[in-house]
Amino acid sequence: MQLLEYFLSLNPANLLAAIPGNVAQGLLWGVMALGVFITFRLLDFADLTVDGSFATGGAVTVVLILSGVPTPAALAVAVAAGVLAGLVTGLLHTVWGIPGILAGILTQISLWSINLLVLGGANKAVNVDKYALLVSLRNVASSIITALAFSGVLVFLLYWYFGTEQGSAIRATGSNPQMAKAQGINIDFMKVLALCLSNGLVALSGGMMSQYQGFADIKMGQGAIVIGLAAVIIGEVLADALLAKYMNFAIRLIFVVLGGVVYYLVIGLVMWLRMPTDLLKLLTAVIVAVFLAVPYLRAQSKNSFALASKRRANKNA
Amino acid sequence: MKKKIAVFALSALMILSLAACGGTAGNSQPPPVPGGETPSDESYTVGIVQLVQHPALDAATQGFRDALSEKLGSKVSFDEQNASGDSATCAVIANLFVASNVDLIMANATPSLQAAQTATSTIPALGTSVTDYGTALDIDNFTGTTGTNISGTSDLPPLDQQAALFQDIFPDAKKVGILYCSADPNSKYQAKVITEHLTAMGYTCKEYTFSDSNDLQPVATLATSESDVLYLPTDNTIASNIEIIKNVSLPVKVPVITGEEGTCKGAGVATLSISYYDIGYTTGEMAYDILTGGADPSTMEIRYAPKFTKKYNPEICQALGITLSADYEAIDMTA
Repeated sequence: MQLLEYFLSLNPANLLAAIPGNVAQGLLWGVMALGVFITFRLLDFADLTVDGSFATGGAVTVVLILSGVPTPAALAVAVAAGVLAGLVTGLLHTVWGIPGILAGILTQISLWSINLLVLGGANKAVNVDKYALLVSLRNVASSIITALAFSGVLVFLLYWYFGTEQGSAIRATGSNPQMAKAQGINIDFMKVLALCLSNGLVALSGGMMSQYQGFADIKMGQGAIVIGLAAVIIGEVLADALLAKYMNFAIRLIFVVLGGVVYYLVIGLVMWLRMPTDLLKLLTAVIVAVFLAVPYLRAQSKNSFALASKRRANKNA
Repeated sequence: MKKKIAVFALSALMILSLAACGGTAGNSQPPPVPGGETPSDESYTVGIVQLVQHPALDAATQGFRDALSEKLGSKVSFDEQNASGDSATCAVIANLFVASNVDLIMANATPSLQAAQTATSTIPALGTSVTDYGTALDIDNFTGTTGTNISGTSDLPPLDQQAALFQDIFPDAKKVGILYCSADPNSKYQAKVITEHLTAMGYTCKEYTFSDSNDLQPVATLATSESDVLYLPTDNTIASNIEIIKNVSLPVKVPVITGEEGTCKGAGVATLSISYYDIGYTTGEMAYDILTGGADPSTMEIRYAPKFTKKYNPEICQALGITLSADYEAIDMTA
């Protein structure tokens, strides 16, 4: 009976009404997922800098907006800050020979202190009533449109860039560094370039998120790499399940952003279910895991040896 | 394959159209009515967004729920959500509350309040466990009322009276170390204010910050080695890791004055404590006034803790050989 009461107390209209907000947030994180995609998938480099550069983007954007800089200019400076962060990681890895993951961690740790200095504390609010922000939780509909525009332009630019000679060189470096080097590509330069590009995108996403939620917080980047990776992988699984035969690079990029949207829709769903709040992270992980497992299990069930022998038996019969 | 694309496109179209409907419903708020509800409405939905699981914040939420349940009984239902320490999740929760058209939002801790402020300018939002509303909401020349849909209670402890504790118990000490987590915006504010008071009394103050529970031990060790007495503001990370501070300070016999009772029970000698349950309860009373009495949050002043009590930790005082005057109340160590 209690179960029935519980289900009756859930109001689907609330879930539907909350979807636009989750979509907007997912699209903004999707920009970050694009950054993670570049390093994780294209460069085959697990870049942990993003936890730090996400917060750096947010901190720089908010501090500049508060000092009267117009928002687009503030975002541009935030991107530059992210590029610098990526540059540091890249140099630590290529010039000083520090293994990739550690280089990212070192930059992430240093960015904690730098972000504190930039923010002048642990938290800074940017009031949507006082400043002209590009996106805000106050105005979800226009935020979705702005976020879609941003992601659309970025997907297009990335698609174009990774088709150019330099972009293809980055992909080659990630795919087979030895061969790329043998072909005359400067793989160190390509790694640094990709890291800069990726962290610039992550910082952009951080800047947008801090406007959206109305504040920049020193901890806002914590766990960002996990969300980014989840978005990338969800996007890949979805794309594979839905559009396997038509897969191309542009579709992969689009689905990376959609992966971020799906992740936030799942969080919104878990919240709406009014489960004990301590279980939020566990339930999100379970739902994402089930999500990712279903296509794999379906494929397994269709391709088992037992089924193959049954099919042969039927043919021969 | 064609069928799959058709199915996918149709479902995407349906979802998008639903989202569009949901979008307008979520964004067209009812016109701002002071009080938010007409008296004839029988039941109220209150959304509670708490930043992280933590004893002080939990106590404030409990006080809030108790106050409203006492006054409204079964007419109020709560939607209690916890962001588990993730400030981005605060935005998701605030969005859910706005979409569900709750009658009032209670935001426990600074990022929750900031997310609530951004999410809505019409639904009344009451903050609690926020130390300084002017900084949290980016309001210049803050005088106690926000002029918007936000009001609430502050957990600002009486820092001048807490500084007086130093003079009372440790008049001969010279160096005071102030230990707090750099991720907590309220701690920095308290550190700044108490440094002013203590320096005026003749103490030399130095701040020691750590970034999370992993660095707490080395920083605390450094602080105890360089200070005569330590001060701990009301800091969430310190409260969660108070045992570490006790294990560092007690062996070297450096006494600790804390900002609230919970941390005093863990590692402190004495404190001038506010009760988080009390400020939560006061927030509940303010909510009742808004929901049924037609009160307008834009003119409601931020309220502070109703009473302060001098408390001391009998075990630690005994271990350090400190005896205090009778106006200090012993903390119940068994509770």
